[in-house]
Amino acid sequence: MADQAPSSTNGFVISEHTLANGLRVVLSEDHLTPVAAVCLWYDVGSRHEVAGRTGLAHLFEHLMFQGSASVPGNGHFELVQGAGGSLNGTTSFERTNYFETMPAHQVELALWLEADRMGSLLTALDLTGLDNQRAVVKNERRQRYDNVPYGTAFERLVAMAFPEGHPYHHTPIGSMADLDAATLADAQDFFRTYYAPNNAVLAVVGDIDPEQTLAWVEKYFGSIPSHDGKRPPRDGVAVDRSAGARMSEHLVEEVPSRALMAAYLLPQDGTREADAADLALTILGSGESSRFYSRLVRRDRSAVTAGFGLLRLSGAPSLGWLDAKTSGESAIEDVAAAIDEELARFAAEGPTPEELERAQAQIEREWLDRLDTVGGRADELCRYAVLFGDPKLLNRALDKVLDVTAEEVRAVAARHLTPENRAVLTYEPLAEDEAEDAADNDAENADEDVNA
Amino acid sequence: MTIASAMTFHPRPEAGEATPWAFPAPTRSVLPNGLTVLRCDRPGQKLVAVQLLLDAPLADEPAGLDGVATILARAFNEGTATLTAEEFAGELERAGATLDAHADHMVLTLSLDVPASRLERGLRLLADAVSTPALPADEIERLVANRLDEIVHELANPSRRAAFALYGELFPADDRISRPRAGTADTVKGIDRAAVADFYAAHVRPATATAVIVGDFSAVDFDAVLADTLGAWTGTPAEPSTAAPVTADDSGRVIIVDRPGSVQTQVLIGRVGPDRHDDTWAAQVLGTYCLGGTLTSRLDRVLREEKGYTYGVRAFAQPLRSAADGSGRAMLAISGSVDTESTAPALADTWTILRDLAAGGLTDEERDIAVQNLVGVAPLRYETAGAVCSTLADQVEQGLPDDYQAQVYRRLAETDTAEATAAVVAAFPPDRLVTVLVGDAAAIAGPLKDLGIGEVTVVSA
Repeated sequence: MADQAPSSTNGFVISEHTLANGLRVVLSEDHLTPVAAVCLWYDVGSRHEVAGRTGLAHLFEHLMFQGSASVPGNGHFELVQGAGGSLNGTTSFERTNYFETMPAHQVELALWLEADRMGSLLTALDLTGLDNQRAVVKNERRQRYDNVPYGTAFERLVAMAFPEGHPYHHTPIGSMADLDAATLADAQDFFRTYYAPNNAVLAVVGDIDPEQTLAWVEKYFGSIPSHDGKRPPRDGVAVDRSAGARMSEHLVEEVPSRALMAAYLLPQDGTREADAADLALTILGSGESSRFYSRLVRRDRSAVTAGFGLLRLSGAPSLGWLDAKTSGESAIEDVAAAIDEELARFAAEGPTPEELERAQAQIEREWLDRLDTVGGRADELCRYAVLFGDPKLLNRALDKVLDVTAEEVRAVAARHLTPENRAVLTYEPLAEDEAEDAADNDAENADEDVNA
Repeated sequence: MTIASAMTFHPRPEAGEATPWAFPAPTRSVLPNGLTVLRCDRPGQKLVAVQLLLDAPLADEPAGLDGVATILARAFNEGTATLTAEEFAGELERAGATLDAHADHMVLTLSLDVPASRLERGLRLLADAVSTPALPADEIERLVANRLDEIVHELANPSRRAAFALYGELFPADDRISRPRAGTADTVKGIDRAAVADFYAAHVRPATATAVIVGDFSAVDFDAVLADTLGAWTGTPAEPSTAAPVTADDSGRVIIVDRPGSVQTQVLIGRVGPDRHDDTWAAQVLGTYCLGGTLTSRLDRVLREEKGYTYGVRAFAQPLRSAADGSGRAMLAISGSVDTESTAPALADTWTILRDLAAGGLTDEERDIAVQNLVGVAPLRYETAGAVCSTLADQVEQGLPDDYQAQVYRRLAETDTAEATAAVVAAFPPDRLVTVLVGDAAAIAGPLKDLGIGEVTVVSA
């Protein structure tokens, strides 16, 4: 029958092992397609960075692709792609991940490559490579943040939500000044501090022979020395907002329309309340049957988009991410008032049974989508192992979301989706004549102008 | 802290024995209502992907109403004979499904993603949307207003702005392809319910439509479900449309779209060339990959990994309008963004790379690595139902045989270095490229005149 109960994601066969040097290994076998994913999470992200060196974790991630003892220059990319594989790395607040998806018969190569750079990166790291990747990362920052409308909204809101001194105050891309200041010694020290087998989890997922795979992992990674010099991040769970801390910012910039964005502090990832918050935000602001869409886009016609999403964080409060762009000449005040009305109504009444069912079905589809590839599964296994200590939590994750009740969803909204618990960023486009004035200024002065 | 001993190094491992893999072959059938169906059962793929292709080419939009196909595409999500717009959105979400639609030059495509366990519900909603759309006047009025809002955002986005400018430059003004797919403010504001309903009546019918469905079908009686949903859609017969040939003016020139204060310049360099019907397509794919397919290709090797001018530059070929007679063309382009002060040096290096390629050709090693990648990644690339569905739908859209992608892999493996060189050199001749730069004209225009890549024109954004 078509209308049966939701499909379950239970039943991935997962095994865990720990090498003598502390490297945790997670294996999951699946022979549907002749591919396998290798995913390595290092327990280091931008939250571990210190003042004056923001962006170092991400810059370092780039350096991991610049060769190691047995791998010249861009050899990591060349060898993986030449083997028919795909690869990348990403850096977030909480971790840095590296991943290869390979044709199954090439998985040993990916393990050899990851082991080589984990054990010997510093023998290949030099100032030429650092300077080159520094320039690349600065262009990444320009392309993704500085040269696009609303591009710096994320870092501005995060900086307000997590005040000065909080480990999540700055975002992984870092500042231009700090990127310029990073030295070869900084990079070397970063590697020696955080890139150790006992600070990493390796997942291998897909068309593998677990016994053979584990033997390869032991062979290539087993002799890499562990060390205990890691500096843990400062506590991010407590967010100390002193009285008078800035919780809103209004920008007049060259943007195409007015916008209202906000970041709410929500329960940490891994808790039942975080799942309840995910459902609340889905019902309020995800999809065309959501409350914000129905009210602002469909009924009031004051907004062209009105989304609300959850950025799950495990070492700090998660962030509820609200983003509304106005339609036509609508005023931000009207959009803000409508949103607050909808939030107050939701906090009082909670979701209808139909809304809860829809949100759970949406989250289920997103979950199936993420687990549909061996790479997605490997990444999730690393996530549960690194952030929550147990990769097998993956198999129960969806059931936990489906178990949340309407009252829990209402309660989390009532407690957290309040005006006192958010940072707010609003945008007003420059008027025509102001735009011409701004055009006469050079780029360095533009920031001062718009913040005045 | 003790001094730890260094790790033990081992020689680079050799590959194991490859498991044979082939691009999945779909089963093609025609339902009694004339709807063509391509199905592909992929056991274990819990998310089913469906694409429904409607023969509603943009060239058939009435004069002055560019964007009516896009508004129709979006209006498919706004309710049916039995469900209001909000109810329809709610039912889709209750099925855990998403339904997106967009109108492109060749076809209007509705894309449904739905968990395999709820495939019947998803297909029923898709069938209702396409066969009995409500096209409510008030929702269409809102979609038009939202599209007008969206245009302002598109024009503020450097990469979208570059694409609009390049299409406007390359193609004759009377060819629909020269103008934005979803219309401009001038054309969109004239669209109303009557225009959308007329376009629907003229172009949407099962006889000229094709559904591509890929995923795990074990939970459903597939034929019965299909007959009861998309099979129940009715419509009058019609001949399929034919695509006009594509012509373009690719004489070398530079257009700067002035965006004062930009910290980067968006670069889009393009012309048109062979599409998938051409015998040289596989060689062109291979050569283009060697030029700019990845971080270790010729462009990024210099522009990113040596000079640090960019986060990444890519070369690619994107079919525009295709016809079985070979009169179609693909957009051939190089795209990326560079910091403002590096604009002229980056373009100078790009042209040096192109001229060196024409003079010296590709190496056998480059060719081999490219083939190993392009062929080797196929099982990864087609892991999901959605990826298989998209490629099959592209083949349908472009009038290609159902085994086309499988043949491309065979052709790639057979292509030698000389063929790949010839194809990429023909694709990117240094004197026949139109360069669009979206950036700070005052900062970048000066040095461009000396590069010898064509006359420089500045337009305001």
